[in-house]
Amino acid sequence: MIIITGANRGLGKAISERLNKKGERVIGLVRTTNGLNIEAIKCDVSDYKSVKKASREIKQMKTPIKAFINVAGVASMNMAVTTDGSTVQKLIQTNLVGTIYCCQLFAPIMLRYKKGSFINFSTIAVALALKGESVYAASKAGVETFSRSFAREMADFNIRVNCISPGPIPTDLLKGVTDNQIEKIISQQIIPKQFKKSDVCDLIELLIDQKSSSLSGQVLNVGGV
Amino acid sequence: MNIEESKKIVSQVISKILGKKLKVNDDMKLIGAESPLDSMKLVETCVSLEDIAEEHGFEFIWTSEAAMSKTNSIFRNVASLAEEFANQSKTK
Repeated sequence: MIIITGANRGLGKAISERLNKKGERVIGLVRTTNGLNIEAIKCDVSDYKSVKKASREIKQMKTPIKAFINVAGVASMNMAVTTDGSTVQKLIQTNLVGTIYCCQLFAPIMLRYKKGSFINFSTIAVALALKGESVYAASKAGVETFSRSFAREMADFNIRVNCISPGPIPTDLLKGVTDNQIEKIISQQIIPKQFKKSDVCDLIELLIDQKSSSLSGQVLNVGGV
Repeated sequence: MNIEESKKIVSQVISKILGKKLKVNDDMKLIGAESPLDSMKLVETCVSLEDIAEEHGFEFIWTSEAAMSKTNSIFRNVASLAEEFANQSKTK
């Protein structure tokens, strides 16, 4: 069983579809279940009680979790001085706190089986310290550091924790980012090309596979930085 | 569940996790330098107690602020953990 937050759109949807196609049992944790073609549980990752309730439902299934993929996130491309307080709160609460809630509440289920993998999501904006994304980047920098430290805590239980850090992948999160800005970001990658959702899905497959059993606490930068 | 039943369960769980290397008593510390349990074994203890609680029809919550407080931690010793386990059993 593989659990994916934010499975109803963007990268989350692409990953769900890929893994579903591969024959994996995929369960989405989503705020709205309408129009989803996979099993889903209603869950707002920014709300502790909501995540706890979802974790109880999953625990009742008494099935090992092969991977927990934290994709749910929000973006706001703005300078810090022009970002209102509620947006700051929402970014941190969903991207960072939501990831922590999911990890801490689902880890006890996984450590019973002493196997499994967490995959969290960061952004190239962290490594490049992109102008106009300071709050978003801060929330994701938190995810990276949490993931590295959490990986050490989980290692005793044979659970791996890694982070994928995509560049400007074409999804709704890129709304409002101009082509010029995208070009500029891509030019700073080691491989200066725009990668696609399918490239991220490939990395997900690798991180779930036993072939990556030596990897934990790593941040994989799509395109390289 | 009364406190004696709870102590018996908690002691059995810890004893199993420690592999009977040490005799478990009420005063045995569960956190800090004097504890025979490392962080991994403490988590295993909690997960086992969570499963036993489920069998008894209640939820054992071990991640509360009270659980982690230095002065009032439920992990001070075997007796305090057993007391909390018994208390939570009454909430079902």
